[in-house]
Amino acid sequence: MKKIIVIMFLQVFVLSCSKDQEVGYVPVPLALEAPSNFPELTYNLDNNPLTEAGFELGKSLFYEGKLSVNDAIPCAFCHEQAFAFTHHGHNLSHGVDGAIGLRNSLPIQNLAFLNEFMWDGAATHLDMQPIIPITSHLEMGETIGNVVEKLKSDPNYQQQFERAFEDGAVNAANMLKALSQFMVMMVSSNSKYDKYVRNEDDVTLSAMELDGLQTFENKCASCHATDLFTDQTYRDNGLPINPQLDDKGRFDIFEDPNDLYKFRVPSLRNVEKSYPYMHDGRFQTLEAVLDFYDHGMVENGNVDPILLREDQTYGISLDAYEKESLIAFLKTLTDNEFLTDERFSEY
Amino acid sequence: MKIIKFAFAVLLCTSIISCSSDDDNNTTDLTGQTGTLALKFDNGVGDQDFIFGVTYNKSNGESYQLETLKYIISNIRVKDAEGNTFTYPLENNAFIIDESNGNNAGEIFVTLDNVDAADYTEITFGIGIDQERFAMGAEGQGDFLVEAEAAGMMWSWATGYKFTRFDGTFSTGELVDEPLNIHMGSVGTSLDNYREVTLSFPNTVRVRETASPEVHIKADFAKVFDGETSVNFADGYGQVHTSSETTPVIANNLPGMFEVHHVHNN
Repeated sequence: MKKIIVIMFLQVFVLSCSKDQEVGYVPVPLALEAPSNFPELTYNLDNNPLTEAGFELGKSLFYEGKLSVNDAIPCAFCHEQAFAFTHHGHNLSHGVDGAIGLRNSLPIQNLAFLNEFMWDGAATHLDMQPIIPITSHLEMGETIGNVVEKLKSDPNYQQQFERAFEDGAVNAANMLKALSQFMVMMVSSNSKYDKYVRNEDDVTLSAMELDGLQTFENKCASCHATDLFTDQTYRDNGLPINPQLDDKGRFDIFEDPNDLYKFRVPSLRNVEKSYPYMHDGRFQTLEAVLDFYDHGMVENGNVDPILLREDQTYGISLDAYEKESLIAFLKTLTDNEFLTDERFSEY
Repeated sequence: MKIIKFAFAVLLCTSIISCSSDDDNNTTDLTGQTGTLALKFDNGVGDQDFIFGVTYNKSNGESYQLETLKYIISNIRVKDAEGNTFTYPLENNAFIIDESNGNNAGEIFVTLDNVDAADYTEITFGIGIDQERFAMGAEGQGDFLVEAEAAGMMWSWATGYKFTRFDGTFSTGELVDEPLNIHMGSVGTSLDNYREVTLSFPNTVRVRETASPEVHIKADFAKVFDGETSVNFADGYGQVHTSSETTPVIANNLPGMFEVHHVHNN
């Protein structure tokens, strides 16, 4: 009998020991290095130092249905890894109770290098971006306050927050920081193109891919600039207005007529996988996109002058081979390491 | 001669008094001493108390009544006679002044704890949330984010605070009981509608461990529409949200609302 008590005692001791080691703030720093062909980081890591536990918590939250009002729609619902974290095949994103959003979900990649977010730039700090989908009644339909209450009553999250943050508090600030830590780490920079420009692993581009790159530099790169493939501006690219949506783009932010129908120039990384295209997902293939640029543009009232041709029509003239080679080049931006990286995978 | 003597005596008295008062300041070491400073916000319209549902007239004959009256105050700091500034800690330095939280006299209290003991002569505060704090991301918002969300002071379609929530109806010569919504805030990095106001105290505010002064701040809501600029509901000022044209006009009118009416040195 005595022995049993001793063993039980010992067990309690051992258990509590291991629990102590498990719970509690032990910051293991995570390194985030800008790829050599990228511009500088814009995310200020001083306000939110990356740690393993913070990243893991952010990942749990990213795949957590409790962030939505019916506990069923996590961020990952519209941001699936295999499709560059977009809503595979959907022109418009879906939300709680069958709600249909107004826009096509953007990829989550290289956000640490951007200065604004969303198709219209409605978020100017990555930490604050998740507030929009979480509280939108067309997306996750929750309140931040309510999400925090749900997480507070979950022992698993209590432990995860304790490990991730010095104050250990389950609160909005720490939740948003953790989500940012996860998103900041999601860097896509190991496509065939990247290895080619960085002279890695003796990677070369085919003749057609090189022709595509040449056309890209001549006709596309002024907007899809830098190796982020976006100049981060908002432009009206002459899409015919869909009267059903009547999406005025960035106009909604400042109610400035100069912003009518302007949308953010999206990155083209992993573009092969992130279909459908445009802010409303109206084009299912890259061929359809290039055909649109060649002969589909309309004067909707505010088209970017950069797209005006000498004959006073809007568009970017592309012949059949230019289109074919451009698409070959765009496919070199597919980063399979990123699309299958287990650090970002749910399972 | 008598007059001279008298004058001399008075001078002596004065110098002793001023001396002793100087001594008092010098010998009373306030270092490390803190106290509580209470700010009472009292919303009114001109020379009337503000009351929900009551119709108020503007200078141009338009009228309005409100069901919601809330605004954000932040970055409160007080300055003493020597020019030293005490800034309330950033993480707790944002408040929602909500008329519906007022006491029976319509006063909303903001209580500042652990204020350095000193003789303060002026106060500065911001209306809204400044861009620097917003740029700090989650770190800069702390729990205020959830508080603002619960109070309906955040947008859901964009990330940012509504600095004001003035909701009700307005009437013009032609329009009757049209919806009135003044939800003004900063938008992104390019539209900064945060404003600050500095107000002198009519008499010194003595914060001590044993003295908790109250500052009675009157806010004249009429100035929102009839301030630095008078605006017309008929011109679209019944609905002010994020427009880069109308929001700065309202933002510029807000600092003029506030005055320190009196101070209680308890």
